Amino acid sequence: MGKTEITIGVCLMILSIVFYALTYQFPPQTLAFSPKIFPRFVSACLFIISAVMVIQGIRAVRKSSREKNPELTTDWAFLIRLFLGILIGYGYTRLLPLTGYVVATPPFIAGIMLVFNEKRWFKIVATSIITTSMLYILFRIVFRVPLPRFSLF
Amino acid sequence: MPPIVQGFLFVLHPLHFPFLILGVALGIIVGCLPGLTASVGIILLLPFVFYLDVSTAMVMLCGAFCGGIYGGSISAILISTPGTPSAAATVLDGYPLSQKGEAGKAIGVATIASTSGGIISTFCLMFFAPKLARIALQFGPEEYFALTVFGLTVIASVAGRSLTKGLISGFFGLLIATVGIDPVEGYARFSFGIPNLMAGFSLLPVLIGLFAISQIFVQLEMIGKGIKKYDQKIGKVLPSMKELKKLFSIIISCSFLGTFIGIIPGTGGAIASFLAYNEAKRWSKDPDSFGNGNIAGIAAPEAANNGTTGGAMVPLLTLGIPGDVVTAVMLGCLLLIGLRPGPLLFKENPDVVAAIFAGLLLANVLILLLGVLSVRIFPKVLRVPPPMLFSIIFTLCFLGSFSLNNSTYDMFIALVFGIVGYIMQKKGFPLAPVVLGIILGPIAEDALARALIISRGDWSTLIKSPIAVFFYVISTLSVMYSLGRQFAAKKAEREQPSRE
Repeated sequence: MGKTEITIGVCLMILSIVFYALTYQFPPQTLAFSPKIFPRFVSACLFIISAVMVIQGIRAVRKSSREKNPELTTDWAFLIRLFLGILIGYGYTRLLPLTGYVVATPPFIAGIMLVFNEKRWFKIVATSIITTSMLYILFRIVFRVPLPRFSLF
Repeated sequence: MPPIVQGFLFVLHPLHFPFLILGVALGIIVGCLPGLTASVGIILLLPFVFYLDVSTAMVMLCGAFCGGIYGGSISAILISTPGTPSAAATVLDGYPLSQKGEAGKAIGVATIASTSGGIISTFCLMFFAPKLARIALQFGPEEYFALTVFGLTVIASVAGRSLTKGLISGFFGLLIATVGIDPVEGYARFSFGIPNLMAGFSLLPVLIGLFAISQIFVQLEMIGKGIKKYDQKIGKVLPSMKELKKLFSIIISCSFLGTFIGIIPGTGGAIASFLAYNEAKRWSKDPDSFGNGNIAGIAAPEAANNGTTGGAMVPLLTLGIPGDVVTAVMLGCLLLIGLRPGPLLFKENPDVVAAIFAGLLLANVLILLLGVLSVRIFPKVLRVPPPMLFSIIFTLCFLGSFSLNNSTYDMFIALVFGIVGYIMQKKGFPLAPVVLGIILGPIAEDALARALIISRGDWSTLIKSPIAVFFYVISTLSVMYSLGRQFAAKKAEREQPSRE
């Protein structure tokens, strides 16, 4: 418990207020049950529990400020990898409908392998091509699951 | 012909049996890989089973479920890293035995115990589930609402270390579930005019993101920390008849213990295996040998954790209430393939229920066969390089999300929930309550709406039924028990440094 919990708690409190406020836009009640009842109940509960977590976080911060804590270091290498992983994943979601499965998948697999610190190029190329082919066979031929295809139009 | 015989004939059909083998094999492989749990194995199978008929899909998922729970013991024995939380107790005696050069025997004992646990628990499921379903058939909307409230209080039980964080996860899941068209008036809530949001968040990409993609991000942190390998030769696999006779009573009693614990919502394999380990140690004539490679210390937790598989299916199939994280994922899978767990499942789909029973029994027999035959392959599975493994899993996650609606929007949702799941895991928020919230939220809202509409807005109808009151009482007890457990753990934590 600490500063992160306070930040997350405050964000969730804001989120629950927004959700609660949005229920006022819902149409007026016509039946014994309205679409606004459940979201209001859930957002009110989320607000209360988030407030409890914020209070717990404040108490934890006060307590830890009295004690000497070792300095936390940021693992920048990991954060860059994480950011790259997310970026490559996002890129794949954009590229797939444009170029189709066969073109988009090998660079995606290669990118993820590079993010996972694989440096042997032969392994990267081989894994990208073999995995793309195997998954194509598994999805398209064995289970007949449609995969995106390249199309100019 | 009795339904169970029909179930066996269905599962043993040449067109269906390979799917069971595939499910069990994939479950074992995923379960034995540290960092990938049985839940991830089941989720990775979902895109494929989605295109199979319901019974075959269920048989395959049951195979992956049992295989995944068993698979966790392999890495626990070979490299002292439990593949799944259920196998944590197996490390205590499994790893010392493998260090003595008896890894084969340790895996052999774990395989036999897991099979026994699984088979006994399936028989209990076959006995109890139809009876419970018959009682549950009398439930109306009031009772269903109370039942879902009870299911949601399981959130408190699976909350982990902090009840506050568990409840936040659960309500976050409930809030996500309110996005989309409401069940009564058909109003698109919180969709902001975005057509994709009108249908709400699909369960498959949410599950894939929360459990599988987030795990890939977690594994990124492990780069450079080295992976443990098992380099010794694996010798004799099966224990002697004398050893088996000694283990017989432990395996049988711990199988029943695991089944009983599995039936209680909010418990799961990890609790069952540690309880069974402690009991085996208590009954033993030589308790000091536990922790130094006693085969009873492997048999007891393995019989118990696979015993929970059939046990946890009792409330899942009859009431639609999951017992732990894996069964919460299983509940999501059932809904995705078009099955609504509950008493009506037994009335409307007896063929599917029979296939599930037969599938579970045969999956456990397959565990015995595959486990014993592939003992020497397991160390090689553990050597799969993480870059290769996780790039394949990442691709599978995206393709799985895409396959649901043939839409890249679902891939994007999976990625977003992957990031959310990663942050939640890093900050100590449990993931299972989110899933419970997403699944049980709409069911609870629907039941509440029906109860209120039938009673013309009379809220007291919710507490008029004795069955509903019973569920409210056990819900309260469940939360109080979780609170008590949390306070006791905190107290023990505070006392530990002062003792040191």
